[in-house]
Amino acid sequence: MDPTTAERHTSEQHPPGRPGADPAGTIRVTGLRKRFGANPALDGMTFTVRPGRITGFVGPNGAGKSTTMRVVLGLDTPDAGTALVGGRPYRSLHRPFTHLGALLDAGALQPGRTARNHLLWLARSQGIDARRVDRVLAAAGLQEVAGRKAGQFSLGMRQRLGIAAALLGDPPALMLDEPFNGLDPEGFRWIRALLAEQAARGRAVLVSSHLMGELQDTADHLIVVGRGRVIADTTVAALLATASHGRVTLRTAAPDRAVRALAGGGATVSTTGPDTVTVHGLEPERIVALLAAAGVPFAEVSAHRASLEEAYLELTRDAVQYHGGGAR
Amino acid sequence: MTSSPSDRPVLRLALAAEWTKFRTDATQARLLLGLVLLTVAVGAATVATTTCPAPGCGVDAPRTALTGVLVGQVAAVVLGVLTAGNEYHTGMIRTTLAAVPRRSAVLAAKALVLSAAVLVAGALAVAGSLLAARLLLPGNGPTPAHGYPALSLADGPTLRAAAGSVLYLLLVALLGLGAVTATRSSAAATGAVLGLLFVLPALAAVVADPDWQRHLRQVAPMPAGLAVQATLDTARLPIGPWAGLGVLALWAAAALALGRTVLHARDA
Repeated sequence: MDPTTAERHTSEQHPPGRPGADPAGTIRVTGLRKRFGANPALDGMTFTVRPGRITGFVGPNGAGKSTTMRVVLGLDTPDAGTALVGGRPYRSLHRPFTHLGALLDAGALQPGRTARNHLLWLARSQGIDARRVDRVLAAAGLQEVAGRKAGQFSLGMRQRLGIAAALLGDPPALMLDEPFNGLDPEGFRWIRALLAEQAARGRAVLVSSHLMGELQDTADHLIVVGRGRVIADTTVAALLATASHGRVTLRTAAPDRAVRALAGGGATVSTTGPDTVTVHGLEPERIVALLAAAGVPFAEVSAHRASLEEAYLELTRDAVQYHGGGAR
Repeated sequence: MTSSPSDRPVLRLALAAEWTKFRTDATQARLLLGLVLLTVAVGAATVATTTCPAPGCGVDAPRTALTGVLVGQVAAVVLGVLTAGNEYHTGMIRTTLAAVPRRSAVLAAKALVLSAAVLVAGALAVAGSLLAARLLLPGNGPTPAHGYPALSLADGPTLRAAAGSVLYLLLVALLGLGAVTATRSSAAATGAVLGLLFVLPALAAVVADPDWQRHLRQVAPMPAGLAVQATLDTARLPIGPWAGLGVLALWAAAALALGRTVLHARDA
């Protein structure tokens, strides 16, 4: 079954606000709308983050990613729509860090407090034992600097501290806004491994980025947003497939005969060089079969693999055009 | 502390968090120390320069001893403002409200921790001021021979002035907390509260009409609140000692109520 249809279907069957409709960790956002002055920041944002996989939340700056996350955390009130964590509004949760761990802004701390004391007050707010603070400090690789003032930290270290805070409550869901900002390659690998481990343990993981490249080898599922709404809610593999458009490059000594043979098979074919032909609309296997049947010699048949970045740019460009000339 | 965390009321968790924040913030400790030292030092300096050459010179000894509260209150206001103002400045308020989504509980916890801290510091400041006066005052004339027994908390009006001064410091700190929650800016809140405390009485001084002058002194939080320090001629005060402190309490309550409304209504 197409996962997108399945999700829409479920959200209709379980009207928002009914506790227990979603398994723990599920983040369900339904029809969020919010305006800041004349600008619609959220324009019907709807998606579901499911346990057991890493969901990438990607879109250009200003697409509504951070606003959506603030609404999920109950920090911003939407004009319309609901956001539920495990079937309940965040603001109704007791000890919310045990339901959802979030990193919004790594700089949002008082610079004079040590890293350990920052985590300590957060732990106290959830009734979490101080020993857990030392455990998440170790998990974030911050034991050495636990006694240093957070204000002296680099952006990368603050990101680690923010992620340590998100892990405090050992929650079934994690929500991280641009966690890769300011990280060195080692930090980058660390977050990837951490998120993969969390997803493998059945947790829901939502990670935002404005750069698809950061999510390319991280996310299993992607929610692409633009102008406050979801443009695509799909798997990484499916997004790549739609973006490559079945473009196949063929190297042959007889381009003219190849063009005739393939055009007869229903493809859009164009000669792109003295011995290269580009084919749209046919699978490589079918191309090989057609060429063999027509007796056309060929040296190489290669399917073009679009990068996720290309797919993403294509999607967001379409969305901007649609909105620009659309019904508004 | 043996109950399971899931049974603990939100306010108790919020209190634990706010207390941890407070005790791990060096600025707050410095302000508390400043409050005590400023109050005692200004009180002692005032007492040292007060003379009473003859019996019935009209010196209100407890009030003179507690003059430092006038200056110490600035530290109390800043303390109250920074209790939440720091977080608006850094954006940490969003972390706080994510940790404790019940916003009233956050404000209540901040108010309780602030109150406890200011009560302790205020009590030390007032006790230090009275002690300094007890040592210094007899040297300048207000002696038992001139009708001034040594300052003692066993004396009803002196006790009222002392306890009232501690409460005064507490209430201006809460006024600061309310103002910063309403304005979400430390600078705006400090300006507003200090203006309210010091400019309103100055305005009263330049108003020509004596009735208006009296009314302004009844509603302005500082002169009304400090009426609690008076031990001589209390009948001639624009407002009674406890009623005056009540006026200040109303100001603080109104500021906190406004702050609570803003905290609930606005996006964090």
